[in-house]
Amino acid sequence: MTAPAAKSGTAPRPAAPADGAAPAAPVVAFSGVDKSFGPVRAVTDLSLTLYPGETVALLGPNGAGKSTALDLLLGLKNPDRGGIEVFGRSPTQAIAAGRVGAMLQSGGLMEEVTVRELVGLACDLHPRRHPPADVMAAAGITEIGDRKVNKLSGGQEQRVRFALATAGANDLIVLDEPTTGMDVSARQAFWATMRAQVDQGRTVLFATHYLEEADAIADRVLVLHQGRLIADGTAAEIKARAGARRITFDLEGAVDTDLLGTLPHLVGLDVTGPTVRIRSDDADATMHAVYGLGLYPRNLEVSGLGLEQAFLAITDAATAEEAGNR
Amino acid sequence: MKTLVKLEITRTLRNRKFMFFSVLYPAMLFLGISLTYKSGATAGDTGLSALAYLMTSMAAFGAMTAVLMGNAERIAREREKGWVRQLRLTALPGRGYVTAKIASAATVSLPSILIVLILGATVKDVHLKAWQWAGIGVATWAGSLVFAALGVAIGYLATADAARPISMIFYFGLAILGGLWTPLYLFPHWLQTMAGYLPAAPYAALGRSIELGNAPHAKDVTVLAVYLLLFAGAAAWLYRKDTRKA
Repeated sequence: MTAPAAKSGTAPRPAAPADGAAPAAPVVAFSGVDKSFGPVRAVTDLSLTLYPGETVALLGPNGAGKSTALDLLLGLKNPDRGGIEVFGRSPTQAIAAGRVGAMLQSGGLMEEVTVRELVGLACDLHPRRHPPADVMAAAGITEIGDRKVNKLSGGQEQRVRFALATAGANDLIVLDEPTTGMDVSARQAFWATMRAQVDQGRTVLFATHYLEEADAIADRVLVLHQGRLIADGTAAEIKARAGARRITFDLEGAVDTDLLGTLPHLVGLDVTGPTVRIRSDDADATMHAVYGLGLYPRNLEVSGLGLEQAFLAITDAATAEEAGNR
Repeated sequence: MKTLVKLEITRTLRNRKFMFFSVLYPAMLFLGISLTYKSGATAGDTGLSALAYLMTSMAAFGAMTAVLMGNAERIAREREKGWVRQLRLTALPGRGYVTAKIASAATVSLPSILIVLILGATVKDVHLKAWQWAGIGVATWAGSLVFAALGVAIGYLATADAARPISMIFYFGLAILGGLWTPLYLFPHWLQTMAGYLPAAPYAALGRSIELGNAPHAKDVTVLAVYLLLFAGAAAWLYRKDTRKA
């Protein structure tokens, strides 16, 4: 992944949008949305608001409801309950007005046509279209313009999808796992292209499996788990919530797990053989207490928690809570 | 939307195998069946020669082949691959997609109609006035839009695997009940009456009426127009409402 570089990070982000005194009209507003498929609850009581200029990552394990949430946002599915507004109207109306561009994982491409023909079509269908040549240049597909769409590599296909999502002046761009099938350099190039869109003031919502992408690119991270929104904040806030530091050390002799459980600022504890792994929101205080107990830790390591671990910690906690409620 | 129509037609023309069979099949059938006819045979009490009767039936049947076979399946496959999902994220209205699909189907049906008519005029010695030839061509082509719309609707209703058998059932069922294979005048009376309200019999009757030197019957045109609205409306509605795995 590229270095976070400039996070284009001056997005206006209201601290408390709940009171209705938001400074800018929201781009997307979900309120209490439920969606089930038969007995499966895909999305439960989902409420969220996106504001203009934000770059928002949607995270969640497989089956967390990310794709359903995006389908609902794009009007490809209708909610069972709750309201969804995009630019203050229904998703379908917002799309018909040419305000939303989307790149879907499941979005196929028209076959038996060239890349240029397909991009030309997408531009033609857009009420606020860009010139096809510009769109292709921005997506980096000018050289493969004469290639047949069904003869592309996975990464090239993703670039063509991206071109379709940016065929006109969209105010919101929705990307579902946009870099799937791309190698590292293609991924870097992709996000560089994406930043150019963000710099033009677009709002971007992307679902991803690559947590480092969310960490490096998003102003704000939403974590979905079993159809519920369990975290909403900056990557730093999410890491802090999960317990900011990870402490690892070995102990000689029998490890007294109960004793370790009394340590201050403990967020998580895992003992495997002689190895103790601790998550703490104040590593200094926790380690001070470890020495205070008269223990002598060896091979001590203290590291910051990556978003990946933070994400796992949060989703594990949510799973445990869910199990406890049953 | 013009671009979409153009692109759909281009795609169809590029699919040479499909074009080849759709165009040749009705022509071969026409030649084959006509071999079994005695020279000078007449078509029951219709006032037409058996050959002239067969020619319009086969032109109609050929157009149905071109627009129904393959088209529904291709649409169902496009849905499953997610292209239609992508298309629904554009400002394209439902009728735009349906129009483009019908237009591309019509590109295939025109040559298949023309070949049957050319064979009739040259090889089979069917004699008609110039306006009649033109009229039959235009009427048969225009009527094929009804079945093209049916193909689009089936493509929307069925999965890719089911689309082929379903369109086969409609294709053969409508062709047989419409008297395209067995002449209508051999049907029992009640069946003839029923056939008049199904799309294929009024369809073939357009050309036959012109062969007799008349304009197509208003009733036939009305029945076809109603089916066209029904099928195209259903297709457009299904396009927008397709909230399953489309």
